[in-house]
Amino acid sequence: MKFIETQILVIGGGATGTGIAWDAALRGLRVVLVEKRDLTHGTTGRYHGLLHSGGRYVVKDPHSASECIAENRILRKTHAHCIEDTGGFFVATPEDDGDYPDQFRAACQHIGIPCEEISIAHARKREPLMNPRAARVFGVPDGAADSFQATHSTAQAARQAGARILNYHEVTQLLRDGDQRVVGARVRDVARGEDIEIRAPMTINAAGAWAGLIAQTAGLRVDVIPGKGAMLAVNHRIVNTVLNRCKMPDDGDIIVPIHTVAVLGTTDERVADPEHLTIEPWEIELLLREGDQLVPGISRARFVRAWAGVRPLYQEHYNGASRDATRDLTLLDHHARDGVAGLLTILGGKWTTFRLMAEITLNKACEYLGAQKPCITAHTVVPGVEHGHYWLGHRLHEVEENHLQSELICECELVTRAMLENAARQHPTFSLDDLRRDVRLGMGPCQGGFCTYRAAGILQSLVVSQQSSVSSEQSSVNSAAEEWNVAEMQSPAHNLQPPTSNLPLPISNSPNLLLRDFLQERWKGLLPILWGRQLKQERLDELIYLGLMNAPHLPDAHATSAMSEFYARPGIAATADADAGGAQ
Amino acid sequence: MTELVVIGAGLAGLIAATRAAQAGHQVKIIAKGLGATHWHAGSVDLLGYFPNETVAIQRPLDAMRDIARVQPQHPYALLGDAQIGDALKNFLALARAIGLPYSGANQDGDNLWLPSPVGAARPTFLAPRAQRAGELSRTEPMLIVGLRGMRDFYPELIAENLGKQGHRARAAFLPLDLITDRRDITTVQLAYALDDPARREKFASELKKLAQSGERIGLPAILGMDAHADTFDELQAQTGAEIFEIPTLPPSVPGIRLTNALRNHLRELGARVDVNMDVIAFHAEGARVLWIESEASGRPLKHRAEKFLLATGGIIGGGINTDHTGKIWETIFGLPLVAPRERGQWFRARFFDPAGHPIFRAGIPVNREFQPIDANGARVFANVWAAGGTLAHCDPILERALEGIAITTGSAAACFAGRK
Amino acid sequence: MHTASWHSVGMTLDECIKCNICTAYCPVAAVTEKFPGPKYAGPQAQRFRESGQLKSPDLAVDYCSACRVCNEVCPSGVKIAEINARAKAQIVAARGIPLRNWFFGRNEILGMIGNRAPQIANLGFHNPFSRWMAEKILGVARHAPIPHWSTRGSFASWFRRTPRLKSENKVVYFHGCSTNYYEPEVGQAAVAVLEHLGYEVIVPPQNCCGLPMLNNGEFPAAEKLYRSNLAKLVPYADRGYPIVGTSVSCVLVLREEASEMLDVENDQTHRLGRALWDLSEWLRDLHEQGKLDTNFRELKMILPYHVSCQARAHRMGRPSLDVMTLIPGLDVREGNAKCCGLAGTYGYKSEKYEIAMKVGADAFRFVRAQGDAARMVTSDSEICRWQLQHGTQKLARAPIEILAAAYGLYDLDQRRLKAG
Repeated sequence: MKFIETQILVIGGGATGTGIAWDAALRGLRVVLVEKRDLTHGTTGRYHGLLHSGGRYVVKDPHSASECIAENRILRKTHAHCIEDTGGFFVATPEDDGDYPDQFRAACQHIGIPCEEISIAHARKREPLMNPRAARVFGVPDGAADSFQATHSTAQAARQAGARILNYHEVTQLLRDGDQRVVGARVRDVARGEDIEIRAPMTINAAGAWAGLIAQTAGLRVDVIPGKGAMLAVNHRIVNTVLNRCKMPDDGDIIVPIHTVAVLGTTDERVADPEHLTIEPWEIELLLREGDQLVPGISRARFVRAWAGVRPLYQEHYNGASRDATRDLTLLDHHARDGVAGLLTILGGKWTTFRLMAEITLNKACEYLGAQKPCITAHTVVPGVEHGHYWLGHRLHEVEENHLQSELICECELVTRAMLENAARQHPTFSLDDLRRDVRLGMGPCQGGFCTYRAAGILQSLVVSQQSSVSSEQSSVNSAAEEWNVAEMQSPAHNLQPPTSNLPLPISNSPNLLLRDFLQERWKGLLPILWGRQLKQERLDELIYLGLMNAPHLPDAHATSAMSEFYARPGIAATADADAGGAQ
Repeated sequence: MTELVVIGAGLAGLIAATRAAQAGHQVKIIAKGLGATHWHAGSVDLLGYFPNETVAIQRPLDAMRDIARVQPQHPYALLGDAQIGDALKNFLALARAIGLPYSGANQDGDNLWLPSPVGAARPTFLAPRAQRAGELSRTEPMLIVGLRGMRDFYPELIAENLGKQGHRARAAFLPLDLITDRRDITTVQLAYALDDPARREKFASELKKLAQSGERIGLPAILGMDAHADTFDELQAQTGAEIFEIPTLPPSVPGIRLTNALRNHLRELGARVDVNMDVIAFHAEGARVLWIESEASGRPLKHRAEKFLLATGGIIGGGINTDHTGKIWETIFGLPLVAPRERGQWFRARFFDPAGHPIFRAGIPVNREFQPIDANGARVFANVWAAGGTLAHCDPILERALEGIAITTGSAAACFAGRK
Repeated sequence: MHTASWHSVGMTLDECIKCNICTAYCPVAAVTEKFPGPKYAGPQAQRFRESGQLKSPDLAVDYCSACRVCNEVCPSGVKIAEINARAKAQIVAARGIPLRNWFFGRNEILGMIGNRAPQIANLGFHNPFSRWMAEKILGVARHAPIPHWSTRGSFASWFRRTPRLKSENKVVYFHGCSTNYYEPEVGQAAVAVLEHLGYEVIVPPQNCCGLPMLNNGEFPAAEKLYRSNLAKLVPYADRGYPIVGTSVSCVLVLREEASEMLDVENDQTHRLGRALWDLSEWLRDLHEQGKLDTNFRELKMILPYHVSCQARAHRMGRPSLDVMTLIPGLDVREGNAKCCGLAGTYGYKSEKYEIAMKVGADAFRFVRAQGDAARMVTSDSEICRWQLQHGTQKLARAPIEILAAAYGLYDLDQRRLKAG
């Protein structure tokens, strides 16, 4: 068994976990982060992308709101390239509460959230599809955030400051020394199938929706309130400003323009299992109905995807609906709470406040470690900020400038071959979904119809070239990441060549399996919204993979990966599977 | 007035119109756009798996005789042996006449297994000449050659997967600039480039250097477009090796060759093929459709005819549409459809489920004369017929029967429509 | 460039299923890498532009010729050409317009100026030195077939000064800039035919339809021209008069394109759209009502007919063909070439001239293939007539001129009305 010794063990590779690793490393502490799957596999990779101005909670949860606006300003500097400055509107439709808009404006002013009332005409000039019957509109500094890019940039910054980030390392057991102390964790290296023991005087449980399960392995009870939120992505940017309903936060009251899509969200339903989520027909109906209030006609738009994330909410002794549970961040000091030292659990909050959550958590950890190091993350930029804010057209522009049209693997999202190869070299590629999170492979209208095949072919090529090259010593995944600037992972112009590296290629599954897994993964997110144009698209994808390729009958058709079972679970409750045999 | 208007320019529509024109009827095709021939392998898939993906079909005609027992409403079950045989015979003769000969397995009646773009074995019944030498029942080793910089063909993946299935195969590359100075290029443009004898010769001489004796060479399906026969013959002659095309991601060059040849042939027979005609309305009196209207600038264009044949391709062709409430409808005449009652019954959880997805079996139910019927089995219109992927009770993609359904039902529907 | 409503052409990008059919048929992408193809430049790139931000991410869409072949073949109804046009307009809004393109947009004014002294204007412009200078300074291709100003005076002045038929049956004629200043004979032939059929022709005040501005992305200026035409023409529409045009591009703009591309849609635009007819379309309609005089003289000639992409864009079928085939002895042969290449102002641009000539090669080949006995060629669009003349050296005539000759009213060789 392998042993790793460190000062802080962080469990969870989402925004909070990587933020903690970054903060810790900047404070000079030795830190190891373990994530059971790929970075952002959890909630961070499944939200709508809102950079909160705080307006949403300004009346219901003012404390949350003021944290949001403060962090909003900070992140625009520290993670500039992950943020698109879309601005936001709060739109009061005639159905919405009479005096809420005034309360809203007053509360914004009170908390210090810039809020300006805009004329309907001006608002509609900017957003022509907005409800023409809107009564009042307020502008706030909402933004759109790319949580994948942000988490990777934060992780990169952490690595550069000395942290170790281990993907596909799953905690099986927190280790206890007697009754009163957690001393680390036993972790399974999924790629190699080996167990590792990581020992640290402080373990931080940032596993989000899974935090309860982690705590349980040490016999501790943490009742996470898993609030599932479903959301839908419209095929293109029908709006370019974040649109919010100006009323108490409720289901389906927000549309976020993010990258090439517009995300309509969200619902809030308490669930039992954070891993296997289904999207119910009523949720779709609700989102479409509410969406029609903000943007009339959106229910007839083309949706390319539906997914759900789980908010890891926490409220001591709470039994109500998850919609009304607090969004406040909660730090559980298990020494104070349960008499078990060496473990902290961080829950709640929102993506916008991840840095603050990390700061608070690490302040407490440093208390226990006796390390008096101040937090500097609020003034420290991560790699990539030099690119400035995200601009929707940047990939299109870079492809044209550098004549990369022939290099496009995913044409919908403008992913070049070099971008894909660079991403594949950086961390264990268990699934094309990992690469999707890095470079947006398969995230456009055809949902992998063309690029899945190309990616499989390219990865096979890489495998072949690796086999034929002189293999050097197994190098740590860490140093591989340092060679490549993850801040540029989404930039065609900065990935003109794949690196000539003789590091071993960490592709853990055969291209056939990668192909089948990814098609299944895409299918999972399509099922809830498969009608009309997207159904036609998917039938074309079926024609390609069944008729043309006969992919179901590839050799090793029964091989599975660590992710196969996860993808195979249906994303909707009602399917035709109950009707076995199929003849109609 | 036109006798027969065929709506849809996919394979079903093209074959139906050809049969009608061959029989001396005055026919024209109108279509919103071009069809699935542009996306598929360019061979004739008759029946590859039935009733689901776990049962591979070795002899499709035999299996099709049994279909009536298992699925009496399947379009193949509505056709008799004679009609099927007639349709296939007619297609073979037609293909020869238009300069694109197709052939079946040496063992008459067997399916052919050909390499797919990912290296799996795909079942098909009739292959164009250029694909035949790829037959996987043969034992000669294969050299799969791709072009470096062509993003829609991966010889290493193909060779690897063929190898895993017990075939001897290896991969090699030639530079793209042997054929073209361009970097950004599609399969169609590559095929046109190889129509040029000078480029063809250059390509052949490099290809020859790669091949070892006894190897047959698999290439992406780009071996010429208008001069395909010459291109193919000369490449074989100049390399001294047997060559076979492997289809690529869309656009499908073999499919476009077939479509172009069929359209030219229709022109020679005096039948028009008018694309860019999106049918938006129809006018019927009693049980007779008098005309249909297509969208045009200024005012819709009226198409009067004695008879109408729907070959609109189902969901993939736009002949059938759906919405978020679970509604499903036939887009031209609003014909009654056979379909799952609710959205919860449309799909199975696994994309590759061997039983497929019930929604894709949805379509227009027809009687034995291929005329659309209602829930009581009564004919809806006296002068409307339907063919191809828009028909109910089959899933042409799951069954690997895409071209087979198109050709057999297109032929039959045209014959029935032609009767007095 | 915001998408103004769910009806805007930008919304049709959602119809795209990435099938690559459009890319397979685009005649420009086939001959140059400078244009990445309709799927790429249209629905695909549009997802990266739709932000209402002034900065344009890509410029390659400038190489789209707006021939609309993509729209024709698309099975899904994506308005690719219109999406591209709006993208070009966004570029112009952000970066301004090159002087040359600004001149092209004002071709009506240039026509007017040259019309004052056409011989001098022709001498001054249509000589090698001036053309060379125009290429060097402005980027106007020196060999491109820019028309000569008519030395017989403008159409409008001829119409005003000659005695015209009065009748209860009235038809409004929209001549367009090219007929007015460069090919008044086409207008004369049209008037002659209409009067022969017993109609009084009204030529009201009218202005340039705005197509050169629309094609070059000058939307605000194009909108002014469109609204001006609306104000001038709608009153005639409201009086129930059909408004016919011989310029197939102008009619397309006035009854569909301007409204769609500019996102201007209201009751007026609908009324104008419904009243407008392409002249051949109107004559065909007359014939279907049994009201067309079919007492034609024999015109014994082989006549290659190049179907303009603009004519096909109407989706109205082939009315010119339908009418010309009524003429005894006339052997009209329909070509299949996708585009003559000139495509509005596209082929006049020095950086695009070679591309245009390559695109047009198929059309030239078709015309030449009809043999030396075919001395003339016909096409609905003046642009095609000039390009075909340039590429094949055959005389080009409009279908209405052919018709006028068949009625004995017109001399095709001299290109003038017969006396008396």
